[in-house]
Amino acid sequence: MNHIITAHNLAMLAGGSISGDKKPLDPSEQGGVTLAGLGIVIAGLLILVLVIFLFGKLFDAIGAAQKAKEAAKVAEKTPKPVPAPVKAEPAPAPAVIAPAEDEDEVIAVISAVVAMMSEADGTTYRVKSVRPAAGFSGRAAWAMDGRRNNVSPF
Amino acid sequence: MLQILQDILMGLWETSGMYALLDDPKKLIMILISFVFMYLAIVKEYEPLLLLPISFGMFLSNLPAVLPEDLMFHAEFWNEAQSSEWFWKVLHDGGLLDKLYLGVKLQIYPCLIFLGIGTMTDFGPLIANPKSFLLGAAAQGGIFFTFLAASMMGMSAAECGSIAIIGGADGPTSIYVSSKLLDGANSNLSTGTIALAAYTYMALVPVIQPFWMKLLTTKKERAIKMPNLRTPSKTEKIIFPIVVTLVVALLVPSAGALVGMLMFGNILKESGVCDRLVDTAQNALMNIVTIFLGISVGATTTAGNVLNLDFAKVMILGVVAFSLGTCCGLFLAKIMNWVTGGKINPLIGSAGVSAVPMAARISQKVGAQTDPTNFLLMHAMGPNVAGVIGSAVAAGVLLSVIAY
Repeated sequence: MNHIITAHNLAMLAGGSISGDKKPLDPSEQGGVTLAGLGIVIAGLLILVLVIFLFGKLFDAIGAAQKAKEAAKVAEKTPKPVPAPVKAEPAPAPAVIAPAEDEDEVIAVISAVVAMMSEADGTTYRVKSVRPAAGFSGRAAWAMDGRRNNVSPF
Repeated sequence: MLQILQDILMGLWETSGMYALLDDPKKLIMILISFVFMYLAIVKEYEPLLLLPISFGMFLSNLPAVLPEDLMFHAEFWNEAQSSEWFWKVLHDGGLLDKLYLGVKLQIYPCLIFLGIGTMTDFGPLIANPKSFLLGAAAQGGIFFTFLAASMMGMSAAECGSIAIIGGADGPTSIYVSSKLLDGANSNLSTGTIALAAYTYMALVPVIQPFWMKLLTTKKERAIKMPNLRTPSKTEKIIFPIVVTLVVALLVPSAGALVGMLMFGNILKESGVCDRLVDTAQNALMNIVTIFLGISVGATTTAGNVLNLDFAKVMILGVVAFSLGTCCGLFLAKIMNWVTGGKINPLIGSAGVSAVPMAARISQKVGAQTDPTNFLLMHAMGPNVAGVIGSAVAAGVLLSVIAY
């Protein structure tokens, strides 16, 4: 009976009841420390999960309310635009097809390099299209590059 | 006259370091080991900031001296139970390294290191994904399962707790727990040997963890891409250290000192109004404490403490603890992946051990080996910083349960 982990044994553990003296532990103490220890750590961190999760929700709600307020203020201050007569024109074919994310900077850099090339060999080039290569992961090239820089030592 | 000359020369010889070295060849072995560590630190650059002070401390404390007052470190002082007379003896008769080691024995250095870590840690990924706390908790399974294994080998509670905490993969926490539990009278182990094992395995994270990560996960699981995390607000980041300190101190007061200093450092950083203090804590203070900690922990590795079977047991159980911690984190991450329908890459589970940021980098590296466009670093930082809090809580639990 002495070797069975009981609620009483577990309760006793909390008060530093296991002697640190140089003697082996009995099986109830071994199991008790393992179970109680892991249990308390998981319980403690579960409480933190809950608290931080609730805080996150609270702050998200506050942030959303503030944004809505600001948007309402801006809408009040901005005069309503007078609808101008719009001519139905066919939309021009886009010269540059960007991927889903904003790639303006990438296109600007590519254009600058092409401009330098045209200066070098005297020929005029025009950038007509920038398309992602096959197998493109969908991430912005600059973001990819930044992340590569951060993890390059590995 | 010849007799007098012979007596003088004999006297000089018998009080020389060379005589003492020949008298105790184990010291020579330790000095040679310290040279190997110095080589690894300087030439191979293995954790040089820690390994060089530790190896030089080892060298200094094993230098032979016949007269006790010439020794820089007295291992026998630290094998006695602490009392007010004992403190007087250390301060009065101790060498330089004895006095520096008081910072370890009185748990000053580990807490100051935690302060520095707090100023360098961004808890943003953890705040953005609080579920990471669970992975940080699971990885502490290594500590408690190793406690079970060590106790089954017939070790005392103080020894089991001190060895098991190595599984938290946190040097300062290991020093904090072992310096409280081990007092020399209750064990043949010393805080120095525990610290040496802990720092050795922390340096070996890139060797130990990938093996278990690849063994316990499938290629498909390793390739899982996780969605981007939200960015927490500054207010959240400021409230976080206060909330964590409050919850931990209410639940496990023994962990209050470690977690309190960690969170103090963090609130200094996140408040944005104490830049000078943050700068000092993360640079000057951290470097000074690292020097004192390294050289004084190195000093405890005397021949008597290291060249014995107990040290071998610590090293073996240490790697078991570390591996179990990694596996527990991976298992929980696999379960979470299964529950969420494939949204969590199990590789981030191994980062639940608190070797910051090394364990998170290993998750990133192993993930990138499967798919170079997979970026797990920020996702793994959540469990990684949760592991620091988790191992401090686990330390508090051990200190609450075991009388010292």
